[in-house]
Amino acid sequence: MHETSQQLTLDLKRMIIEALELEDVTPDDIDAQAPLFGDGLGLDSIDALELGLELQKRYGIKLDAEAEDTRQHFASIDALRALVETRRDR
Amino acid sequence: MDRLYISDWCAWCASETQCASPQQSISSPVGSSLPGLLRRRLDAAGRATCDILHALAPIDGCPLIHASRHGDVTHTLSMLESLAQGQPLSPARFSMSVHNAVLGVYSIAHQHRQPLQALGACGHEFDALLTEAEGYLDAGHASVVIVFSEGELPATYHGHTPHPGQACAVGLRLTRQANEHPRLTASPTATPGEPTPLEVIQWLAGNTPWLDGLQRLTLEAE
Repeated sequence: MHETSQQLTLDLKRMIIEALELEDVTPDDIDAQAPLFGDGLGLDSIDALELGLELQKRYGIKLDAEAEDTRQHFASIDALRALVETRRDR
Repeated sequence: MDRLYISDWCAWCASETQCASPQQSISSPVGSSLPGLLRRRLDAAGRATCDILHALAPIDGCPLIHASRHGDVTHTLSMLESLAQGQPLSPARFSMSVHNAVLGVYSIAHQHRQPLQALGACGHEFDALLTEAEGYLDAGHASVVIVFSEGELPATYHGHTPHPGQACAVGLRLTRQANEHPRLTASPTATPGEPTPLEVIQWLAGNTPWLDGLQRLTLEAE
């Protein structure tokens, strides 16, 4: 059985901090609705590729880097959580 | 070697007891010259290199040259291990797996738009740094900042390659203007060496009388 949405949100925040080596950032510092890229957390295009790889390793989700909806999936933690809840295979 | 003067220098060692005087040392933790989102991409030696560049580069900039024999070898090895196991490479690690990555991060952080050069020279890094610096000075630049660094060596490589035994970095600002700065002179040596950053630091700190590279380097008060 999969964890609750709340737990998954925390897992995704931890995944981002760990995979992207965000020193000095705690899960509480990340607003689940705020943009991950640009003005929000300030991640860049290399981080997007790193997150794509991490989603594949942890949840078996393979994203097309060129697809327009990939951009929407990476908009915020909440968008990522919705993606993982619907597409995860592990 | 034509009129080459050291107008300033500074250093960093992972084990601070073996480093230069506090006046010539970069303060820990290293990386304070970089925003966090850029700092995370560099190892300690890369962070120290950026701090040294920031401390020595003039406000209006000058050519910067960075040399390292092994580069960020810890991350290079982990990528090789991933490849050997058929695992996908980390895009962030791969993007940083070029010898000029540290200078690239520095130039982004500080909007540096003058020449940047990265060198590896199989043990002759310090000789190569001086040669390249003289080229920029002769082309008309008033000063050049050079940095020589080594990262921590993974255990897998111990005994297989020369290494200072700890992460360390040293930077010098060089100029043709005397201004009472110490002068670098070169003479032939019967015992050529492959100095590490740690040996350069010991020499600059006055703990050794000369530095043997392809030539013997000495410092003279002007």
